[in-house]
Amino acid sequence: MIEKWSALIVLVLAVLAAIGMGSNAAWLGTSTLIAIYSLLALSVGITYGQAGILSVAQGAFASMGAYATGILTARYGISPFLTLPVSVLLPALVALPLARLVSPLSPLVLAIATLMFATIVEILLRGGGDLTGGYIGLSGIPPLFDAQTPVTFNLIAWFAVVVVVFLYANLMNSAWGRAINTVRHDPMRAVADGTNVTRLQSLVFTLGAGMAGLAGWLYAHQLSFISPDLFGIPVSINAILMAVVGGAGVILGPVAGAVVLSFFYEFLPGQESRGMFYGAALILTLVVAPSGLLGFTRFRRRSPAVRRGAVSAGAVPGKVAS
Amino acid sequence: MVDFIILGIVVGVSYGLLALPLSLLFIATGTVDFALGAYAVLAGLVCFVVGGPLGMVAGILSAVLAASLVGLVSRLLDHNRRSDHLTLVLASFGFAIFLESFVLSTFGEQPYVRQPFTDYWDILGTRVSPQAGVNLAAALVVLAVTFGLLYATPVGRMMRASAINPRGATLAGIPVHIMRASTFVFAGLLAGIAGVLHLYTSGLSYSSGMHLALSGFGAAIIFGLKSPLRAFLGGIAIGVVESLSNGYLPSHVATVVPLFFIFGILILQGTSRTFSGGRA
Repeated sequence: MIEKWSALIVLVLAVLAAIGMGSNAAWLGTSTLIAIYSLLALSVGITYGQAGILSVAQGAFASMGAYATGILTARYGISPFLTLPVSVLLPALVALPLARLVSPLSPLVLAIATLMFATIVEILLRGGGDLTGGYIGLSGIPPLFDAQTPVTFNLIAWFAVVVVVFLYANLMNSAWGRAINTVRHDPMRAVADGTNVTRLQSLVFTLGAGMAGLAGWLYAHQLSFISPDLFGIPVSINAILMAVVGGAGVILGPVAGAVVLSFFYEFLPGQESRGMFYGAALILTLVVAPSGLLGFTRFRRRSPAVRRGAVSAGAVPGKVAS
Repeated sequence: MVDFIILGIVVGVSYGLLALPLSLLFIATGTVDFALGAYAVLAGLVCFVVGGPLGMVAGILSAVLAASLVGLVSRLLDHNRRSDHLTLVLASFGFAIFLESFVLSTFGEQPYVRQPFTDYWDILGTRVSPQAGVNLAAALVVLAVTFGLLYATPVGRMMRASAINPRGATLAGIPVHIMRASTFVFAGLLAGIAGVLHLYTSGLSYSSGMHLALSGFGAAIIFGLKSPLRAFLGGIAIGVVESLSNGYLPSHVATVVPLFFIFGILILQGTSRTFSGGRA
């Protein structure tokens, strides 16, 4: 039930947070960053949590989005709102053939293949010469509009999260969403149902890449500066960890994970020993709550079906069980 | 041409050293431990700080200890009946972050290196440090021991059985959990040896763990993860490709070529399988 109201929950919480923060610059910065990370983690949520494809290239897709808008707005003076479709579509168009190539691989090998891809993208951006600015990166990316303040940008970023969550929840509530879940649980069964497994997986992968591109678009216009290592592999891994900690299989899980881990990171003492707490917290979550902090919302729905023994857990999309 | 190939083999041996434990873990548990690079770093730095032959032992023991912790975590994850191998991969990422930060706060940022040899060998006109010979010898010994353990002892048979079919192995009376845990410990031992050798070859710093794990994994995967020998040869192959592309191509292209090489081989492996439905 909760999943239907996901977008509304995010909207209400984001508005409440925005009212509470007022114009405190430090808080607004953190909040905007959480929104951007939420989008990245959501892209992991849909590809890994729903379709079971663990991609370590989400950061690379985000950097494609960021560079697309960066080059077009800073070099050619095109309005940021006109480059938004480019930032979303470019990673998606790159992801589509890539997904075709990697989707027959076993999950572990697929993760490595995407990791290699991400490294290749990072190296190409560094070696891109004048177009990408090489190691130094691009600077002077204009704000979204002239009167942009941290307050308005924070609202725009969270609005993007709300829209994505709404569309995502809507997708998972449809026949497509149920097919995606079936593919993750039992590909053979999905084939028997008449689902084109490779095509569906490619589409989900492409959608995830588009979401990551949106995150990159936002980040470029927030920072007004981008460099190749801004969305490196650590960022991709971080996004995966956020999704997993929050609950990759739950629609709001990645957002919750982004909020919790960002706060955790922000308030940890000591620059050097930070990673120890971070890593320990992650392992603890995996051991204690393997389906994430929000995983309980799924367990409650699943249990009657398990007791009946008719359908095994995990295969049951929301509607069938309730 | 010949000199680049020789240099490539020298580099490749050090990749192969880490590819070995990765492939061993994969054979025996079906998962991948990305924290292996971090164990190697830990072993190398502990070895440097303690110093002398005692340092090597201390370094390798510290890696074994760290690996045992991950073995314990994997046991806890199994306890929750999560047979999803990716969960352990994620946990190993977490442990790698933990160890990297631990090493950073204990040993600091600077790179550590120790090069005991001052005179070089001359092989076909290429200057090669005798350390490369030591590495190769150590690698061959480790490889032989691993093979012996896996394919000629009852323990090795039990390890392989618990990886192929855990339930069947349990029914046959094999203590699957103990097998898995001991594989982690053994992999930690191998990673520790690799770390100490790296300290004596090109040096280590707190952040080299992830790079080591990735290059080791790339090496292990290109010829198939299923055999330690192939993993080792994969390391040498990548070393040669890297060295050749460094020698003949412009620098920013050269760094991409080995990655494209691994990526291409992975894709070929995937598409050659004529299995349309499920994913293995």
